[in-house]
Amino acid sequence: MTPSSLLAESAPTTAVPVPPVWGIVLTLLLVAVTAYVALRQRLGLARDLGIAVVRAAAQLVAVGFALRFLFEHTGLPGSLGWVAAMVVLAGRTAGGRAKPLPGAVRVATAAVGVAAALTVGLLVGAGVIEATPRVVVPIGGMVVSAAMTGATLTLARVRDEVTASRATVEARLALGLPSAAAFAPHLRLALRSAIAPSIDQTKVVGLITLPGAMTGLIIAGVSPVVAIRYQIIVMYMFLGAGTIAALVAGRLAGRALFDDAHRLLWLDPAR
Amino acid sequence: MAAVFALDDVWTIRRSGDDHVHPLVGVTATIAPARVTALVGPSGSGKTTVLRLLNRLEEAHEGVVSFHGRPVTSYDVLELRRRVGLLGQVPTPFAGTVHDNLRAGRPDLAADEAVVLLARAGLGVEFLPRPADQLSGGEAQRMCLARSLAVGPEVLLLDEPTSALDPFAVSVVERTVRALADDGLTVVIVTHDLRQARRVADDIVVVHSGRALESGPVAQVLDDAADPVAREFLRGAS
Repeated sequence: MTPSSLLAESAPTTAVPVPPVWGIVLTLLLVAVTAYVALRQRLGLARDLGIAVVRAAAQLVAVGFALRFLFEHTGLPGSLGWVAAMVVLAGRTAGGRAKPLPGAVRVATAAVGVAAALTVGLLVGAGVIEATPRVVVPIGGMVVSAAMTGATLTLARVRDEVTASRATVEARLALGLPSAAAFAPHLRLALRSAIAPSIDQTKVVGLITLPGAMTGLIIAGVSPVVAIRYQIIVMYMFLGAGTIAALVAGRLAGRALFDDAHRLLWLDPAR
Repeated sequence: MAAVFALDDVWTIRRSGDDHVHPLVGVTATIAPARVTALVGPSGSGKTTVLRLLNRLEEAHEGVVSFHGRPVTSYDVLELRRRVGLLGQVPTPFAGTVHDNLRAGRPDLAADEAVVLLARAGLGVEFLPRPADQLSGGEAQRMCLARSLAVGPEVLLLDEPTSALDPFAVSVVERTVRALADDGLTVVIVTHDLRQARRVADDIVVVHSGRALESGPVAQVLDDAADPVAREFLRGAS
């Protein structure tokens, strides 16, 4: 099945107005104009732009097919497996950005996993969202994304803190303080700057941007007054998942930085 | 007199990328009680590594570091560090006031005790309520010295404590170090300044290329070193 036939096939099955295939071509023309300008201005972005356009389309088509397969054939276990795969991918991505922090990928994967399990588990357990693939997969994706951002920012800040403040941490260790206490002020700084952007984003939601879930519901014909209910859940979910991931990542990274003798490990830049 | 510390053929290892480097390659030395021992040697010779082994901020890969005749690894590490204080090369004021800093390792420290500690480090009572991050480099280093003393250590390790200080602060720190040793504290000081070693130290250990080449009373080592490499270094550095 070709991408265009997939889109053409999907449209009649829903009451939501779906853009025609030529709409995609039209938006692609917009990108082509941008690429032309980038080329003329010698911004050095035309190649990246082209790759991004092709890659995004290919990824979305593949994901579209995969999700349809999940929704129709694998049920809830398959959907949870999909979310678990997202957790692993998110952990690798967040951990990769925090090198050379020891055990960064393991720490990030655990943080994203705990945040996703708690958030999705709570929402499903309390009956806020349905335990069906069509709901669990997109909600799970949003939660994993928020958790990944929280873990990424935290681990990067932890690494920067420990690099910049090694002498101060060791001064506390030298006073006989345990590693957790010696690193606590630095962990607090890292967590504060990792969580602050999510709080700011939550403060201005609706004022600066109309968030995705709300936009989708409004396009689908739902009253904005009703759509905000879903959006509030999504925003709180984002804030909760990001904060949980940040706290777990910070705690685990704080432990991974020290050995059993409360010694601060040397970060090996070659790792 | 029994040594406070004894290092017996100590090797250390540090991973650097896929390679391993050996800051120390078989150091054997002793530190006598209630004396000032200076560790001297060229940059990168392993002086700081020796110092950090004594309160287990570094670990020996081979060999044994003993404290009062027992391996340092047999002590509870937090207890060991409270008995063996360390003052780094760069002042490290913590957030908060000078008083907050002095209480970092001893939360129950009373104000009058804090004043005595400050005086010992050459700082007046007026410093107690001051924000620590507004002190000058010399004041901050002296506050850090008082902070280390607040825990009540029996050994004080000093890693080039005056390298970033003005001459007045240097003389205050040196006087304090001498007074501490005279009061019975064991002091180990890393320095590359042989004149400072002569001024404050009783004993000296020459560390070169990861080995302790020569050790003994200051005058004897500085004036009449037996090891040719140590003699060469001391002649060049003085």
